[in-house]
Amino acid sequence: MNEQEELKEVKKTVRPIRGVIILTGGSLLLLLSLMLAVSLGAADIQLKTVWQAIFQFDPDLQQHQIIREIRFPRILGAAIVGSCFAVSGALMQGMTRNPLADSGLLGLNAGAVFMLACCFAFFPDLPYLYMILFSFLGAALGAGIVYGVGSLSKNGLTPIRLVLAGAAVSALLGALSEGIALYYEIGQDLAFWYAGGISGTSWNHLQIITPWLLLALAVAMTLSHSITLLSLGEEVAVGLGTKTGRVKLTASIIIVILAGLAVSVVGAVSFVGLIVPHIVRWFMGYDYRWIIPGTIIYGALLVVLADLAARIISPPHEMPIGALIALLGVPFFLYLARKGGGMV
Amino acid sequence: MRAEKYKQHSQKGKAKRAVLVSVTLVFLIIIIFFISLNTGSIYLTPAEVILTLFGQGTEQQNLILFDFRLPRMVIALLVGTGLAISGAVLQGIVRNPLADPGIIGINAGAGLSVMLFLSFFAVTTTISIILMPFLAFLGAAGAAFIIYVLSYKRSEGITPMRLVLTGIAVAAGINALMIVLTLRLNPETYQFLATWLAGSIWGSDWQFVLALLPWLVILIPFVYSKAMVLNILHLGEETSIGLGANLEKERRVLLASAVGLAAASVSVSGGIGFIGLIAPHLTRQLVGDKYEYVIPVSGLVGALLLLLADMIGRFIKQPEVPAGIIVAVIGAPYFLYLLARLKD
Amino acid sequence: MKTIEVNKIDVGYANELIIKNLSISIPSNKITTIIGPNGCGKSTLIKTIARILNVKGGAVFLEGEEIHKVDTKEIAKRMAILPQTAEAPGGLTVYELISYGRFPYKKGMGSLRKEDYEYINWAVDVTGLTEVQNRAISALSGGQRQRVWIAMALAQGTDTLVLDEPTTYLDLAHQLDILLLLERLNKEEGRTIIMVLHDLNHASRFSHYMIAMRDGEVVTDGTPEEVMTCANLQQVFQIDAHLARCPHSANPICLSYQLCQAEKASACCSINSASKAYHQTASG
Repeated sequence: MNEQEELKEVKKTVRPIRGVIILTGGSLLLLLSLMLAVSLGAADIQLKTVWQAIFQFDPDLQQHQIIREIRFPRILGAAIVGSCFAVSGALMQGMTRNPLADSGLLGLNAGAVFMLACCFAFFPDLPYLYMILFSFLGAALGAGIVYGVGSLSKNGLTPIRLVLAGAAVSALLGALSEGIALYYEIGQDLAFWYAGGISGTSWNHLQIITPWLLLALAVAMTLSHSITLLSLGEEVAVGLGTKTGRVKLTASIIIVILAGLAVSVVGAVSFVGLIVPHIVRWFMGYDYRWIIPGTIIYGALLVVLADLAARIISPPHEMPIGALIALLGVPFFLYLARKGGGMV
Repeated sequence: MRAEKYKQHSQKGKAKRAVLVSVTLVFLIIIIFFISLNTGSIYLTPAEVILTLFGQGTEQQNLILFDFRLPRMVIALLVGTGLAISGAVLQGIVRNPLADPGIIGINAGAGLSVMLFLSFFAVTTTISIILMPFLAFLGAAGAAFIIYVLSYKRSEGITPMRLVLTGIAVAAGINALMIVLTLRLNPETYQFLATWLAGSIWGSDWQFVLALLPWLVILIPFVYSKAMVLNILHLGEETSIGLGANLEKERRVLLASAVGLAAASVSVSGGIGFIGLIAPHLTRQLVGDKYEYVIPVSGLVGALLLLLADMIGRFIKQPEVPAGIIVAVIGAPYFLYLLARLKD
Repeated sequence: MKTIEVNKIDVGYANELIIKNLSISIPSNKITTIIGPNGCGKSTLIKTIARILNVKGGAVFLEGEEIHKVDTKEIAKRMAILPQTAEAPGGLTVYELISYGRFPYKKGMGSLRKEDYEYINWAVDVTGLTEVQNRAISALSGGQRQRVWIAMALAQGTDTLVLDEPTTYLDLAHQLDILLLLERLNKEEGRTIIMVLHDLNHASRFSHYMIAMRDGEVVTDGTPEEVMTCANLQQVFQIDAHLARCPHSANPICLSYQLCQAEKASACCSINSASKAYHQTASG
């Protein structure tokens, strides 16, 4: 008895320390990569200049202008998008106990792009604030169809079934948005959303999405304990007194908001929500109170680095960031699908 | 004795039904063919069409009909046939009703090699047009090989579900790679490629008919001669061994034929998915599961579907909404429906 | 005359053999049943005999010829197999599926000949499927479906039938129905039947020859009388069995059983009342 208690004690102290180290380390890495991202690019800028641009801004200097008006919003946008996708992926994986859950793979991103295409076609002058709402709606549409098909299935929602349904829904919504783009001749406006691109991000966008982001992340944090319980299985969670219905509903809303936000900024980028939670789990275990903050930081880190790579691999061209992350994500997905054996 | 008569009768009944269905399909194809000949930016009356077909047309009518519309529709017929039969064969080999050359990555493989080719050579020379199906075949075979290896597990061989899942992932990876590679292309080739990927029947030229035709003329009779083998393979691995089928050899030969059919079709039509999925399914509903009937009838169904999709695409908007988009909009919900019904 | 000779076979993967150096003979014109606990290798053995699995070493002989070397179609004319998880495409009719049993005799596209129809009709008849022969497979019950698969195997016109757990997933009456059919085929036509069964009592009641396996090895083989003893069942299944006589076949069957305690494993059989009861029944 005594021994067991001691063991518990040890675990209790070890995990937070490890968690804190990993979170701090991640934050430092993120900071470093943010600075790198600001200074590297089509025009290299010294870190010193970056520093000055922040603290001694001189509006007459072109470099300061580039930093303030182009690089900053873009890189912050990348970080935000990364966090959004990663946290939505983590919530989905925990809630549905599906290791292959990702907003891109399960049709949310395609749904958001579809609604954005509709926006462009039917209300071309809609302000960004309202477009985000459409993006949420689209993400909800994609998720709704996928889960609807899954739950109508004879064998219920197996991970493989969800991914297949997600692929089909993505194909459908993708074809529809492409059709709309062709019909209304708005292909140019939409093109970057298929491939994914952050270059268009402005301070205005960031201002609008930040309150949504903070709200969603805060709610995600408060849900984290219940998600941990849900990830043990619905029955266990009910047995431990979780109000599963309410938790699932709230989590679904948060997932849709996060995915919708991210897509409205960067377009349909898949695999961030798949990769990051898995990596974070390897390091930090299965407690979502740690996983959620972990995915916020490491999701941001991944996308900031990917965006940096997209800019510097073959200048002056920019690689579409979605394609770049997919090249990383596909092998990871194949590995998970293979390893999953019984589960997948 | 009476029972025997009844049996003989019923077997003949099935054959009769297959013939009836085929005749109806041919009839429908002819009707759609004529309607389709009249669809386009310049309207020709049915009488004018018939007159022109018999050599009584004006120069302009000849041009429209023989140089633009006819080759395009012949290609639609051939591609539809090729993709549908390829899908029917694939479904028999992997025993998975969800198998489709588009879904499991064969189209993507063909696309990649065609793209690499296009980025170095011009499309317009006859030699390169004849070469394209071969290149597409190599790319598709490569993709099929990768998918096969990746979904193979020593302990359980290839499970149909994992095959489809791997195919989707590999297709996503190849598509990402293509997007990255398009950066190298000049805008003109890029535009061409984008349309090609969306699945437009772009090869509106008799040369493309010539490039595609030999593949179909050789492979379809060959596949048909293997109908009995496909019947046996459809019963499952162990049963086919018990019945004395040389499993590995037959599978390899049939897979190569299916890949060849799909690749040659795709090289002319671009990324058209779902025909290979829908056509065999509809066919099975109409004439049952025997491959002696499934192969020819699904070829007809595929031809009809694609002809229809191409016509609808041109009808909705001039010059066209690519047929691939129309097919996806019809095909993806069908895929979802099948997925929901499937037992695993 | 032995129909099948299994000679020192190794089966499994490179680094983990499931069966090592196993030899066994299957008698002709008899019903042979393989029994054993889960994971004992009985399914592996029957799949190797059916040439679904390849051997790493040794060989399996069918009527004196090495089964993995002879043309697979030739084997299919002499031995038919019924896999454990046979599942037909739902749209096929009973008659169509049974007609596929003639595949080994077909050349290229050749359609069915008169002789083929005779075999198919006979198979439909003998399995009692005449009434349903034009129905879709998907419309049949589990027991009927199993009959269809057996009919397909019969249409192959082979002397030997290999069945991997033909009664699994069936209810009590249908299990018996299938086994009685197999028994009749053996009695009336002299077919050699080899199968895996889970139910010891069915195995004992219907077979002439039994093979008991554990950990990839044959523990014992012989007539049901020889195999179904307390000591053997204890060794094979680690159970303490209460045996009695089957009122239908007079072979030993297991009435009920207890789990053996590991430490008194050697003692449990000789001193228990169950075996006494059995011996009394046997002598009386």
